[in-house]
Amino acid sequence: MLPLGLLNAAIGHPMLVELKDGETLNGHLVNCDTWMNLTLKEVVQTMPDGEHFFRLPEVYVRGNNIKYLRVPDEIVDLVKEQQQRDQASRGGRGGSNQRGDHHGGRGDRGRGDNRGVVRH
Amino acid sequence: MFTTAAQLLDLTDKKLLVILRDGRKLIGVLRSWDQFANLVLQDTIERVYAENEKVFASVPRGLYLVRGENVLMLGEIDLDKDDYVPEPYREESTNVVDALHRKEIKEQKDKEKSTRAKLQAFGFEGELAGEVMF
Repeated sequence: MLPLGLLNAAIGHPMLVELKDGETLNGHLVNCDTWMNLTLKEVVQTMPDGEHFFRLPEVYVRGNNIKYLRVPDEIVDLVKEQQQRDQASRGGRGGSNQRGDHHGGRGDRGRGDNRGVVRH
Repeated sequence: MFTTAAQLLDLTDKKLLVILRDGRKLIGVLRSWDQFANLVLQDTIERVYAENEKVFASVPRGLYLVRGENVLMLGEIDLDKDDYVPEPYREESTNVVDALHRKEIKEQKDKEKSTRAKLQAFGFEGELAGEVMF
């Protein structure tokens, strides 16, 4: 499971996000995308000095400002379950190949970064 | 495949020391990574050092998702040597080390500030005004 898969599995769970400037955001993950942009709710924002706090009902974070995320340990188990469910719904066989299942005749050659590739 | 990606593949499910650009040292098991070197670390602890006093503390932190850009370096930990603490270092309680660590950071920040001020007096404009790593 890729890191962003883990992030997806953490939707609805509480987490701590530290930004590059040292601010931390404590809140529940509402949604995220492939650029690691996040929306959080019920957030407590802590300034880099660790002494000033703000309560924010809703926050949008642009992914590039993130240093790291700390998520609950249980998310790992959740990801495993989700993976098994996905595999079952795909009919068992061929479920494990996360790569190489292109739909068109030609792959995504010639594009330097494959950030946009959807893996289903 | 990129050689670097192959190396990360070798490190998967191994215990690693990851140093972030802000100087943080994380020790955990690498469970997953992607093309940006975003990392998933499990059972992570943070090592905090007070370099002047030669003491350190380990803070349990749990599951991390580190955004690749912020990684400075990482390396596998030799489990046979993991418990060995070299002289003159010793482990101390988190509270003690944390206070000393903060003090050292503050002292260094102050020093950088005065260096900048002195350089500025000679007409040197902010060569270090950008990102200072530690």
